[in-house]
Amino acid sequence: MREQRTAVPGEAAQLPQLTAFLQQFCSSAALPAAQVLTFEVALEEIFMNVVMHGTAAGTQRRVEVSLALTDEGLTMTVEDDGPGFDPLSLPPPDVRASLAERPVGGLGVFLVRQMMDAVSYARVAGRNQLRMTKHLA
Amino acid sequence: MNVGTETLAGHTVVIPAGRVDFNSASEFQAQLERAVGGARAPAAVIVDCAALEYVSSAGLRAFLLAARAAQRAGIAFVLCALQPAVREVFDLSGFSRIISVYPDRAAALTHVAQGPP
Repeated sequence: MREQRTAVPGEAAQLPQLTAFLQQFCSSAALPAAQVLTFEVALEEIFMNVVMHGTAAGTQRRVEVSLALTDEGLTMTVEDDGPGFDPLSLPPPDVRASLAERPVGGLGVFLVRQMMDAVSYARVAGRNQLRMTKHLA
Repeated sequence: MNVGTETLAGHTVVIPAGRVDFNSASEFQAQLERAVGGARAPAAVIVDCAALEYVSSAGLRAFLLAARAAQRAGIAFVLCALQPAVREVFDLSGFSRIISVYPDRAAALTHVAQGPP
């Protein structure tokens, strides 16, 4: 098993650094480019969700991302020390709504659910933990 | 991300290259809105995505708002030449049902030349 971990402050400016971390891990593991892009989208959606929601003024979260490559596939875990919030509890957007009626938000977590084979949330030792796994063909 | 624009047979072609993520989406949205709502409104806006490598929900939002502005203005707004990873995001989100997507620029041009559906 190959595993790697990094931690950044919960701010949007850290997104390129996190993406680079993911790309580096995937390239050293020789993962197919299409799979890497799927994880890049999932990482952005979950990280930005943490950055945008539930942070009290003047406080900053610390976000930890770990990647583990096993026989089962690639698992990405995003943890943060913010208030408890399960993004998987958000209702899915109406993907059949017309152009004029389509809501602007709420797509990120929905996309992650669609792209991954397994997504789970847990509150562990005062931290939010979102785990995503995709089987690699 | 870089965004180029061209005029083709009275239509505006917007050509994004690179990544439309959270950090570049608002700039991209501004470019799309300029294309849709410029002083000389085009008959149609075609977004040629051949060099667009990555789009997240933040990027989808920019496409959605521009498509809506175009609809209000009576301008056709279509996409073409999506790379497979970008196409997947459009399909999974249901966006390829609300925004017309064509395989290439020629097909998009043929469609917009026929006028509104």
